[in-house]
Amino acid sequence: MDIFVEDLVQVWDDGGDGILALDGITHHFGSSKLTCLLGPSGCGKSTLVQIIGGIERATGGTIRIVDPGSPGAPSARPGERSVMMWQNLNLFPWRNVIDNVAFGLEMAGVAREQRYARAKEMIASVGLKHFEEKQCSQLSGGMRQRVALARALVMDQPILLMDEPFAALDAQTKIVMQEELTRIFELTRKTILFVTHAIDEAILLGDEVVVMTARPGRIKEVIKIDLPRPRSQELINSPEFGKLYDRILHLIREEVLNAMRQQNEAAG
Amino acid sequence: MAETSTIKRTKRKSRDPLWLRVLPFVSVVLFLGIWELVVRVRDVPPIILPAPSAIARYLALMIADGSLPYHLSVTFLRIIAGFVVASVLGVAFGVFMGMSRIVARVLDPWIAALYPLPKISLIPLLIIWLGTGETYILTISAITAFFPVLISTYAGIRQADQGLLRAARDLGANARQVQMKVVIPAAIPSIFAGLHLGMGVTIILVVAAEMIGGSNESGMGYLLIRFGQVMETEKVFAALIVLAVFGGVIIKTQERIDRWIAPWAAGKN
Repeated sequence: MDIFVEDLVQVWDDGGDGILALDGITHHFGSSKLTCLLGPSGCGKSTLVQIIGGIERATGGTIRIVDPGSPGAPSARPGERSVMMWQNLNLFPWRNVIDNVAFGLEMAGVAREQRYARAKEMIASVGLKHFEEKQCSQLSGGMRQRVALARALVMDQPILLMDEPFAALDAQTKIVMQEELTRIFELTRKTILFVTHAIDEAILLGDEVVVMTARPGRIKEVIKIDLPRPRSQELINSPEFGKLYDRILHLIREEVLNAMRQQNEAAG
Repeated sequence: MAETSTIKRTKRKSRDPLWLRVLPFVSVVLFLGIWELVVRVRDVPPIILPAPSAIARYLALMIADGSLPYHLSVTFLRIIAGFVVASVLGVAFGVFMGMSRIVARVLDPWIAALYPLPKISLIPLLIIWLGTGETYILTISAITAFFPVLISTYAGIRQADQGLLRAARDLGANARQVQMKVVIPAAIPSIFAGLHLGMGVTIILVVAAEMIGGSNESGMGYLLIRFGQVMETEKVFAALIVLAVFGGVIIKTQERIDRWIAPWAAGKN
C-alpha cells in the first residue's frame, strides 16, 4: 500500500498554546518498502506512526492510503489496512501464546478452529513451535517479541507499523530479530514503517531512512538505502554501509544537540 | 528458557538445608513445650491458662461429641453465604462504576459516606430491622465485605493499562470487546485482592454477629461467648484454635483458587 502523508500537523494540548509535535510532515511511504523513521527522542516519530495507524488523530493534514494495484479505489482509513507492533509489545498477560496471537482473529469473529490453525502456522513461522500453550511471562524477551510479531502478522494486513520494537532487547537478540524481520519483509513484501533511534538498524533494515528533526518534528532528509537484498549483518563491515552511517550520524548529531539545547532551555 | 528457569526455582527450594525446613515445626513444638512446662511447674490454675495438653484433651472431646464440627460448619456456611453475596454485588457494582461515569457519579457519595463507617456500628439498627436471625448475620457480613470488593474492582477497572486497550483496538476489538476481553481480565488481580480483603472481614463479622445478638445459638462465635461466660477456659482455647486453623485453611484455599483461575495474576497486588 502506498501511504501519502501531506502537511501533517500534530499539536499536543498543554493547557496553553499547545506543543507543536509534528510540523508539516509531507512524505510518500512507498508500497512494499521498508521505511525507517530515525530521529532524536521526542521528535514525534512514534506519533507519526500512530497517526498513520489510526491510533492518534492528527490536528491537521491528510493521509491517503491506497493500493497501487487498484488505482482509483478510495483511500483506506488510517488503521484499516495496518497493524501495529508496539514498543512495549502490549501482550495480554492473561492469555497464553496462541490466544495472544489469535486475539485479532477472535475479535473479528473467526471460529476457534480456524483461528487456532492460522495462529499456529504463524507461531511456527516466527520460530515458536511448541510454545503455543506457554504463558507470555514464561518467555524470554526475544520470544515475547516473536509473539508480538506473530500477533501482528496473523492479521494479514498489507501495512506493518513498528514502533521501536527491538529497543529493549540485548544486542545479540536484537541481531536475531533484525534478521527475522528482514526475512519476513523479503518474503511478504509488506509496507513497513519502522521507528528506531539506532542508525545501524535503520540502514540495515530500510529501503529508505527518513531522518527527522528535533521538536517540532519535521523531515530533515530522506536517504535512499540501495544496498542489495537479501541483506545480512555482514553488511555492517562494507564500505557503503560505513559511508551511509557517517552521513546519517552527521545529520542526527545536529538534531540530538538541538534536542539537548531545547531541554536545557526548558529546564533553565 | 522458560523450562530451565522453573526447574531452577524448584531446585533452589529443595536445596534449603533440612534444619531450615523443619524450623517452623520446631518453633511451634518449642513454644507449646515451654507453655506446658510453665503451667505445670508454676501450677497455674486452668481457669487462667490451661496447659496445651488439657486443651488438646477438650478439643478431642468436643470433636468426638460432634459439637465443634456442627458449630464450625454453621459458621462456615454463614461465611460462604455472606462472602458470595458481597462478592457478586461488589464485583458487579465495581464493574458498572468502572464502565459508566454516570453510575460512578451516582454511587460515589454513598460509598464515600458508608465505606469509612465501622460496619459493627450498624448492628443495633440491623437488629431492629431484621431481628437476630440468619438474615441479620448475612446482612452485616455481606455489607462489610461488599465495600472492599467494590472499591478494588472499581480501581482495577479504572487502572487498566491504556497500552493494552490501544493494542486491542488496533487489533480490531470494538468497545464492548475491549471491555469484556481486556478491561475486565486486566482488573482480575485487583478484584482478587478485594476478594481476599472481603473474605477476611466476612470471617470477622460472622463470628462477631454470632457473639452479639445471634439468636440461633449456633456457630463458633456463640460457642466462644458461652464458654467464656462460664469460664471454661480450655474450651475457649480449643474453639480459638479451631477458628484460627479454619481461617488459615480458608485463606490458603482462596489463594489456591486464585492461582487455578488466573495463574498469570499470581503474585500481583
